[in-house]
Amino acid sequence: MSENLHSRAQKLLAQSLVEGLGATDQSWLDAHLIECAECSREAFNTRELLRAFRNVPVAVPRDLAARTQMRVRLRAQESAQSSSSGVLLWVIAVASWLLGVFSAPLVWRGFVWVGAQLHLPKPVLEFGFVLWWTVPALVAVAIVLHQRAVTNGFVGRGFSRDVQP
Amino acid sequence: MTNDTQTLADGLRRRDPDLLDRLIEQYQQRLYRYLLFLTGEPALAEDLFQETWIRVLERGHQYNAKSRFESWLFAIARHLVIDVSRRKKFRSLEELADPESSQPYEPPDPRAVSALQLLVARENEQAVQLSLLKIPAYYREVLLLRFHEELGLEEIAGVLSLPISTVKSRLYRGLDALKSLLPGGAA
Repeated sequence: MSENLHSRAQKLLAQSLVEGLGATDQSWLDAHLIECAECSREAFNTRELLRAFRNVPVAVPRDLAARTQMRVRLRAQESAQSSSSGVLLWVIAVASWLLGVFSAPLVWRGFVWVGAQLHLPKPVLEFGFVLWWTVPALVAVAIVLHQRAVTNGFVGRGFSRDVQP
Repeated sequence: MTNDTQTLADGLRRRDPDLLDRLIEQYQQRLYRYLLFLTGEPALAEDLFQETWIRVLERGHQYNAKSRFESWLFAIARHLVIDVSRRKKFRSLEELADPESSQPYEPPDPRAVSALQLLVARENEQAVQLSLLKIPAYYREVLLLRFHEELGLEEIAGVLSLPISTVKSRLYRGLDALKSLLPGGAA
């Protein structure tokens, strides 16, 4: 039997496993495998190889699912808590902003009065007025960023510890 | 889109804890096997198994119910493996991220068929298991997804974020690699 026929049969055999064959090719291959002992043996061996591959034993650690379920539930609770505290933070921020906007004229009048008492120039008053509003916000941002960095650092260290071999 | 996948997507969006418990139970064998095949390290596979489900919890809203859940699950797991491989510089897993540029594939030994026959004669499944770890991870992965998980070519392409042509090429080469690495193949 010609070498080309064997070569074609082996190619079709692999193709049948990987992407499937059309009816014509499948019929040709089936007929060839009946006639050719060598290719038939190759087909049998390949099927056996895949069977052995599928039967490679993999034992899942006994309590892995339970540990994972517990960890997922804990994370879900943490997320829910952080989500509700995030909403609270937004409410406080909005309330603070509104309070700031509506109280600004009153605060400015206070600054003018203090400036008049201390004979301060207007640019100093304006600079002080700007600081009055920006410093608390900057401090709040710094605190939030610090807390986030601490949290991320903890989580990052935790995970990298977990993946040590 | 089936009702099942839509129900699943809704549950994941709600972060339904009971649903997640069921999914962890249901997919534990397949996911752990996939991770173990990729990493070759049981302890690391366990860590990644847990981390995968944390990601499922956090990104459940991204599952769109158009694909099978397992394809989405394997894609998440795969990204985690690649992340870890970048941090830890596993040789085999680095190949997973960019196989074509790492090393050329050696064609199988022409004596592979006789080695295969030897294997079949002995019914030596342990030999397959040992051989698997010698195969580059990117071949191991496609072989697992195709012949263990029985995913279609399009689904595998989705998991790997690769064109179908590349998936096919890896499958053909992976089959050859599997045959060539069996006992006696190098003898």
